[in-house]
Amino acid sequence: MYLYLPVALTSINILIPVGLGLGVGLLSGLFGVGGGFLLTPLLIMFGIPATVAAATDSNQIVAASTSGTYAHWKIGNVDFKMGLFLLAGGFVGGLGGVQLIKFLKAMGNADFVIKVTYVLMLGSVGSYMFYESLMSLKKKKTEESKPKKESSFTKFLQSLPFQTRFEKSGVTHSALLPIIFGSFVGILAAIMGVGGGFLMVPVMVYILRMPMHVVVGTSLFQILFNCIEVTFLQAYTNHTVDFILAVLLLLGSTVGAQIGTAFGRKLKGDQLKIILAAIVLVVTVKIVFDLTLSPSLLLAQTGGH
Amino acid sequence: MNRTRNSELGYLKFRHVLAVLCAFAMIFTVAHTSSAELTLKANHDHIKIDFFYHGSSVSVKGTADPGADLVIKIASPDSNQALRKKGKMAGMLWMNVGQLEFEHIPSLYFLTSTRDLEEIITRDEMINQGIGYPALEKSAEITPIENEDEKDRWFGEFVKFKESSHLYNINSGNITVTEKDGRQNFYTLFDWPYQASPGQYTVTVYAVKDNKVTEKAEAKVLVEQVGIVKRLATMAKKNGAFYGIISILAALCAGFGVGMVFRKGGGAH
Repeated sequence: MYLYLPVALTSINILIPVGLGLGVGLLSGLFGVGGGFLLTPLLIMFGIPATVAAATDSNQIVAASTSGTYAHWKIGNVDFKMGLFLLAGGFVGGLGGVQLIKFLKAMGNADFVIKVTYVLMLGSVGSYMFYESLMSLKKKKTEESKPKKESSFTKFLQSLPFQTRFEKSGVTHSALLPIIFGSFVGILAAIMGVGGGFLMVPVMVYILRMPMHVVVGTSLFQILFNCIEVTFLQAYTNHTVDFILAVLLLLGSTVGAQIGTAFGRKLKGDQLKIILAAIVLVVTVKIVFDLTLSPSLLLAQTGGH
Repeated sequence: MNRTRNSELGYLKFRHVLAVLCAFAMIFTVAHTSSAELTLKANHDHIKIDFFYHGSSVSVKGTADPGADLVIKIASPDSNQALRKKGKMAGMLWMNVGQLEFEHIPSLYFLTSTRDLEEIITRDEMINQGIGYPALEKSAEITPIENEDEKDRWFGEFVKFKESSHLYNINSGNITVTEKDGRQNFYTLFDWPYQASPGQYTVTVYAVKDNKVTEKAEAKVLVEQVGIVKRLATMAKKNGAFYGIISILAALCAGFGVGMVFRKGGGAH
């Protein structure tokens, strides 16, 4: 059955957005990512204008991440305190990122810098996460958790002021740490026009040393707030949120997020990490292909990423 | 001297005669046009976009002088469109390298004719009458470009882009023609793509003889949103803040709602 989308000005078979929503929601519940890096290009592929695809995606993520946060909260996997510190950082970073884009645009090579940063970020984060989780999966088979040596980086982190205990995550950090790294992810997310979940998850895992399951729940919690802000701004300033498309997507994604959460409980942290890393790497390869193969059309609609 | 004056007088006389002939010709053409009665009717000329709209079709029929070839065009009014252009950076990476403005060019353009355009009409006449891609290219402005070659190239890309979005199409041989009572009845059916935005479109039919357009007639097709589709589209445009808040609340409720359902059903446990 087809439905007409009033803002996208196109008609779509409802099975497409519901199915895509289900898939992306599953990823949200499993890995704590919004999935914009997958969903937005797919929507564009199905004929949704780029600007509408990006804006509507953030509206849909509000639903999926509410569903996911709720499911993770019930099983005690959301560190609200950490989430709020990251959010504060992300907010400041987002503002900085917007300024940085203006600066890059004035320099005249914004798209080049953005694309290259995006590919390098995806590629390096994906590879590191893949390698690290593969190693620790192998290690666990032979020996049970070996006490980790304190690196100089850890020592440096512990010497920072405002040390705070994050009960849910079981870690003690300077309150500055989530704020600084939250804003770093915020800057990159604003530049690349993505939610930044795929960057936030590794930051929480490798820098904040939080357990993977709490990472997923906490990441969803802060994505929820980011996407509320983005949805409002897109609807208010660009008029590009398609309500009908968002409803179709969220029919799938809210359910997907629940299934993903339930399924994620059955997997180990390292297994989750390695699957997420593989997905990130596949997306990287796809983008590299897009960049190097001659496109069939040399013109495209404005907007999107 | 005299000889020159004589020849000047002769030339003036000749010009007078020519002018009178032209006037006659014009009167004759006008009279001819009104008596030939090229008629045109677009059936289904009010397309309503509701929730379940998935494109439509527009049939065009009418009568024309026997022996004339026909060209039928549906086009939106000219507008301006900005598109991103892709190019190679650093010699190997394809990415967006800026924007091009396409001005005075329709967003939808369909053309069909009884035979290939090249067989029935000259290029100059096509440009004069606004028929075909060369005519569109001539009246369009593309900025920023450096020369005519670049205009050719990007206009070609523009047509490719539009054809892939189902908004431009030129073909021939799809007009059914039957002769009756010394008149020629014609009929053709255009698939109306759901990608075409709401607005008013003009259907023009041209009768072509001896490489020239001898007559033309016009009709309108109105495409508009109705019902919920119209209300949502209007709200999104005119009341963005309210629309945004509603969208966010709906998403939050859906998220919580599904969470509750799964708790009851025990799906997450």
